[in-house]
Amino acid sequence: MKKVAIVGAGQSRYGEFPDKGIKELFFEAYNDMIKSVDKGVDPKRIRAAYVGNLGSGGFQLGNMSALVSEFVGLPYIHTVRVENACASGGYAIVSAVMDVLSGAHDVVIAGGVEKMTDVSSIKQKYWLGVSGDTEYERLAGTTFAGLYALIAHRHMHQFGTKREHLSAVAVKNHKNGAQNPKAQFQKEITLEKAMKSPYVAYPLNLFDCCSTTDGASSVLICDAEIAKEFTDTPVYVAGFGTSSDYLAIHDRPDTVALEGTKRAGRQAYDMAGLTPRDIDLAEVHDCFTIAELLAYEDLEFCKKGEAGQFVEEGHTQIDGDKPVNASGGLKSKGHPIGSTGTGQAYEMFNQLRGTVQKPARQVKDVEVGLVHNVGGSGGTVSVSILRR
Amino acid sequence: MAHVSIPMYWRTIPQRYRMVGQKCKKCGSVNFPPKGVCKYCNESSEFDEVNLSGKGTVHTFVLIGAGGAPPEFAEQEKAGGSYPVAIVELEEGPKIIGQIADADLKTVKIGMAVSTELRKIYNEEGVIRYGFKFVPQ
Repeated sequence: MKKVAIVGAGQSRYGEFPDKGIKELFFEAYNDMIKSVDKGVDPKRIRAAYVGNLGSGGFQLGNMSALVSEFVGLPYIHTVRVENACASGGYAIVSAVMDVLSGAHDVVIAGGVEKMTDVSSIKQKYWLGVSGDTEYERLAGTTFAGLYALIAHRHMHQFGTKREHLSAVAVKNHKNGAQNPKAQFQKEITLEKAMKSPYVAYPLNLFDCCSTTDGASSVLICDAEIAKEFTDTPVYVAGFGTSSDYLAIHDRPDTVALEGTKRAGRQAYDMAGLTPRDIDLAEVHDCFTIAELLAYEDLEFCKKGEAGQFVEEGHTQIDGDKPVNASGGLKSKGHPIGSTGTGQAYEMFNQLRGTVQKPARQVKDVEVGLVHNVGGSGGTVSVSILRR
Repeated sequence: MAHVSIPMYWRTIPQRYRMVGQKCKKCGSVNFPPKGVCKYCNESSEFDEVNLSGKGTVHTFVLIGAGGAPPEFAEQEKAGGSYPVAIVELEEGPKIIGQIADADLKTVKIGMAVSTELRKIYNEEGVIRYGFKFVPQ
């Protein structure tokens, strides 16, 4: 079977940028990606672009991938907008990898972009709310924080997970994000501050939630056979997996796990011929702090029900034995929906090559990295394993 | 800017007013809300209609508050403060989401027994939407 490599990766700054729309944000990420290709790449070589995007408030729902592609100088290519809510970027990567594996194209882009701050907070809640089960979850008066709070509360009840465990995730990710010049919130927070913020969806408080963010990211994917034309140090896609799940949490047999993560993770491990023990660094989908704890368990970094203890003992700190979210995660780096999955791959590309911007964030000796992207409350999940 | 449009709501009235579910003819499990294919056996699309009792226990819940309500529920939150939303395990088997009404927030607990009543959900596009809410038993 063919092998697939990543030979370049770029990301815009994440944050609130009134002067940039989806085109300009995507261009910033694209330029950063082109610059990152060690031996350079002629844009004419790029034959396809898969662009993750939830909808950016609905202003360019149709044909948005053609728009951002032509804006960056790629007017006549195969391009598709990939939409799986917050997992759009992760699925853009998998779509691009499958494209190369199929032999259809040999140099392709997986990207993602979201513009979230152009719309009022009311319209934002509308857009985010439509990625869950609209008929029941929405009509019961829940938000996304509310859905993850339902999972968190059950997890606490069933396994004794504590409020401190949730806040420990936020504190850790802000500590890492403080070292990321492209993160939305580059500052540390104390455990006390994280614990004391107001409840927006008890048992989740404001500091358990990620923010709304503008941003874009982009990775250059190619047939591994030609990777050395672009760089002497490519990163290889060792395995990937995806799974959907029942959209409504009440329809799932198990409330305290994301079955999509378990299945996507298992597929990726099996394809790569690796085990969870082999993962040196993971970028997981921490849209809410409980989501990171679920990921520890569902990706088999720790036993079911023991995630609270796992974070408390420091395993997932940058210098721990299983570092998670060295970038700051969605919590501190920001969560521009469509860009989140490709942004994780951007971080992992740099971690694997030892090229993150600040040494304090560089995890030592990363051979194998895992990226994990969740759509909504788990309706879609993608996992990819990258290695040097 | 309706989130659950009037036609979308109208199509689900039997579920919302009378809790009409489906008993699978192959495995006997009860699906609620309705599915195209039984979510338990994934093999049959043939069902008998059943009216659920609306009784169950709280499996988990959240208190929506501090301005965290969706826009169409903001008025409710403003008037009544934080409100609980629960996933309830019904006595016939399926779990379903809904608000808990008439309860002192301090007394809402996982495992609490509830029953169902028809209540006003909200008013949007000039049409009052009714549906079930849970009340302590």
